[in-house]
Amino acid sequence: MPEKGALVQGTLDMLILKTLALEPMHGYGIAQRIEQISQGVFAVNPGSLFPAFRRLERQAWIKPVWKPTDNNRRAKYYALTARGRKQLQSETETWGQQSAAIARILEAC
Amino acid sequence: MAIRHTLLGGLCALFQRRETEEEMDDELRAFLEASAERRMRAGMQEDEARRAAHVEMGSLESVKDDIRDAGWETAFEALWADLRYSVRVLAKAPVFTAVVVLTLALGIGANTAIFSLIDSLLLKTLPVEKPEELVQVDNYGFTNPLWEQFRDRQDIFSGAFAWGPTEFNLSQGGMVRNADGFWVSGDLFRTLGLRPAAGRLLTVDDDRRGCAALTVLSYSFWRSHYGAAASAVGSTISLDGHPFDVIGVAPAGFYGMTVGSKFDVAVPLCSSDVLYGPPSRLDARHAWWLHAAGRVKPGIGMAQLKSRLAVLSAAVYGSAVPQDWDPKSQDNFRKRVLRPAPVANGLSDLRGDYQQPLRILMAVVGLVLLIACANIASLTMARSAARGKEMAMRQALGASRQRLVRQLLIECVLLSFAGAALGLLLARWADTLLAISLSGVSRQVFIDFTLDTRVLVFTAAIATLTGLLFGAAPAFRGTRISLTSAIKENHAAAGGPRNRFRLWLVASQVALSLVLLVAAGLLLRTFRNLASVDMGFDADRVLLVNVDLFTAGMPKSEYGAAYQRIGEQLRALPGVLGASRSRLTPLGNSDWNTIIHSDVPHPVVGADDTVDFNTVDADYFATLRTPLLAGRNFTNKDSAQAPAVAVINQTLARRFFPGVNPIGHTYRAEGGARKLDPPVEVIGVVKDAKYETVREEPDPTIFRPLSQGSEFESENFEVRSALPESAMVAAIQNRIAGVNRTVPIEIHTLAAQVDESLTRERVLAALSTFFGALALLLATIGLYGTLSYVVTQRRTEFGIRLALGATRQSILGLVMRDVARVLAFGIAAGIAISFAATGALSALLFGLTARDPFTLAAGGALIAAVSLAAGLLAARRATTIDPIAALRQE
Repeated sequence: MPEKGALVQGTLDMLILKTLALEPMHGYGIAQRIEQISQGVFAVNPGSLFPAFRRLERQAWIKPVWKPTDNNRRAKYYALTARGRKQLQSETETWGQQSAAIARILEAC
Repeated sequence: MAIRHTLLGGLCALFQRRETEEEMDDELRAFLEASAERRMRAGMQEDEARRAAHVEMGSLESVKDDIRDAGWETAFEALWADLRYSVRVLAKAPVFTAVVVLTLALGIGANTAIFSLIDSLLLKTLPVEKPEELVQVDNYGFTNPLWEQFRDRQDIFSGAFAWGPTEFNLSQGGMVRNADGFWVSGDLFRTLGLRPAAGRLLTVDDDRRGCAALTVLSYSFWRSHYGAAASAVGSTISLDGHPFDVIGVAPAGFYGMTVGSKFDVAVPLCSSDVLYGPPSRLDARHAWWLHAAGRVKPGIGMAQLKSRLAVLSAAVYGSAVPQDWDPKSQDNFRKRVLRPAPVANGLSDLRGDYQQPLRILMAVVGLVLLIACANIASLTMARSAARGKEMAMRQALGASRQRLVRQLLIECVLLSFAGAALGLLLARWADTLLAISLSGVSRQVFIDFTLDTRVLVFTAAIATLTGLLFGAAPAFRGTRISLTSAIKENHAAAGGPRNRFRLWLVASQVALSLVLLVAAGLLLRTFRNLASVDMGFDADRVLLVNVDLFTAGMPKSEYGAAYQRIGEQLRALPGVLGASRSRLTPLGNSDWNTIIHSDVPHPVVGADDTVDFNTVDADYFATLRTPLLAGRNFTNKDSAQAPAVAVINQTLARRFFPGVNPIGHTYRAEGGARKLDPPVEVIGVVKDAKYETVREEPDPTIFRPLSQGSEFESENFEVRSALPESAMVAAIQNRIAGVNRTVPIEIHTLAAQVDESLTRERVLAALSTFFGALALLLATIGLYGTLSYVVTQRRTEFGIRLALGATRQSILGLVMRDVARVLAFGIAAGIAISFAATGALSALLFGLTARDPFTLAAGGALIAAVSLAAGLLAARRATTIDPIAALRQE
């Protein structure tokens, strides 16, 4: 089992997109969700999470949505865009192919 | 789409920075709160939960930096901030900035000036439509019959044209005002794809036998002589005394087919008949006055062109054989083959002369710039040492070393661009000056220095390069500092290696300057050698007066009398010591030669027995002070009816009459069709004199008396006077006008004519001396600056030494040891480089070799003397240190 937190290079973007596929969420929610679903295998550091948001936003894969919070502040939520959905699909496919291939190789040797 | 988002997002962030920042703060705060809340729910104390949340996040500022870095705009913003900071820093050090910018302006300006000369002369294409399609065809030029044959037979060009340079006299009598003429065939303007700036251009219909006298002005001539007035079109202009109708103006920027000169008026080939009458030059098969070129039809390659021309040539040359040549030469003529050559860059006779010198000058100015760079690097390093505290502070506050290096490099590039901007101005001015200094009495050099992108790119490139070059070392060294020692301002810590590097820099400056000094010395001495060469005549206070009776429209039968009377008038002028008449003048840019057969057997030297000719009157040798060594001069008795006689020079006597006294011997010259003319008797021998160039070994020369031949359309008078040139010109004009008002006259000094043949050497010597001096100055400043700095740095050390009993003498010795090391290395390296590099100059030198030991020694001695003086001046400061003050400072 890999050490906690070690995330395969370049997969964070895909995980964020996947997390947002269900519903718009805010930063902390996304971090929590990734940690929960991975059952604590991946801990997402805010230091890499927020730059990833900015990156994805610039690619127009996610867009910010402002929602009021309980204590009357506005909170920034992120939602998947149509382009983001397409991107997620293609990334998932590639990932599926690659991981299957890697699995085959590991079994064969 | 994605790019648009990236761009827009970045721009929004740039312009709504506060909003973007606030959003980011809100978002991160929300994250922290949510994180803390969750921990509290899990049972943590509030402040403990908050702290844990913060720990998880790490430094808030660095997270924010990471977010900002995800977009491109931050990099831009940081760059902008660095730029503004750099400008502020430089503005605060005006002296430093001014010195650096000026030094760079000189260095970059010199490079730009030479490069734009190279660009204009060698690289620029003609400002015509698709110049790369233009191809010249040639094999020793074209006569008009040859051109017509080619024009009518060729099938490789979509348009073919011929042209030739000439000069037209604009004035009607009196002092000549020359305009640069341009013979053009009818299809030239169309083929080049040029549009008139006014009126219309010449067409094929304007260039037919018996045509009207029409002309097209160049744009610059139209502006300078007509103020660009529309009324110029339709007016008439007098060319060599004939009225020509101005039909239009050529487009701006088109100066003809020759780079290095321009045209003022273009006239069709057919108008040669208007100017020169019968026998028509258009039918002359021996008058080589044209070049021919064309625009290649699409799809025809160079190889195809070659083979097609080979086929065409037989027919073209076969139909235009010069009738009066001997059969063997005619045969060779028929076998000539036209060769194609791309002519996108135009033609230029300057190229042959100046290609090599320009390359050398480019290398020279490159070295000057390198030396300047070393100086500035040294200066910047001294500054960066002084800025050690600032750098340490900025690093302590979190600036990355990379960021500091970048900001320092930006400072340098800023400086070099300021230098480049100023340098560009300097270069424009220098280029104008250069073009003027390349011109002489007979060759007006015109170079189109219109800035093109190539020059701008070149300047920008060297500016960036120099900025990085002088900036890199100081930037990297300046930021590699130990924080604590820098803040404590400990001199010793910053000392050692950096000083050694600076001394290396100075040593390499000394080496490079020595190379430039040696090159300058060689070229300067070459010029001195040439200028002091024995010309065989005395050029001091001799005026040359060219008189053109043909253009004055005088019938040939009156030439003799007219020349006679003009001669008498000139001799009668007050102040005139002597006057003579001749067909050619020494170094007059024209020659006249023929093969002769002497009556004494002799070995052939060189290619054949070709000798130079001139016809002169009896006063010629006395006026030019060329001594008669044997025999007699011409006299009145040597008339047309008397036996043919000649005076020869020493070289001819030696080569054609070896071992005998040539007086009384005869020679026969080859005339038309290689038939021998009647024998001519040698009556005298004169001292050798330069005929065409100063560099030449004297050519064998024959002088024939004017009285034994027919007069020429234009002849020269040599007038030696006791008065200066300025006093004579007007008087000479008046006297000649007294004989005939319509005779065009040109007057200049023989000295100017000699000078002109040394133009290249003079310009090269002047430029290389200037750059050599500049290099020496820069190197000296560099040495002085570096030593002063070293002395300041070692103040404490010297103070201690003095306190412990060292003498001032020994302190001086310590510093001078550095100077000696620098000099020893610099001079040794300089001599080695000179030995390797000055061979490139060989072809340009005269009277000495590229490894001339005297020049090397003199260069080394000069640089040693100057450097030692500068070193002593700087070192003396070390001896004036007050030990107590120096130690207290610590």
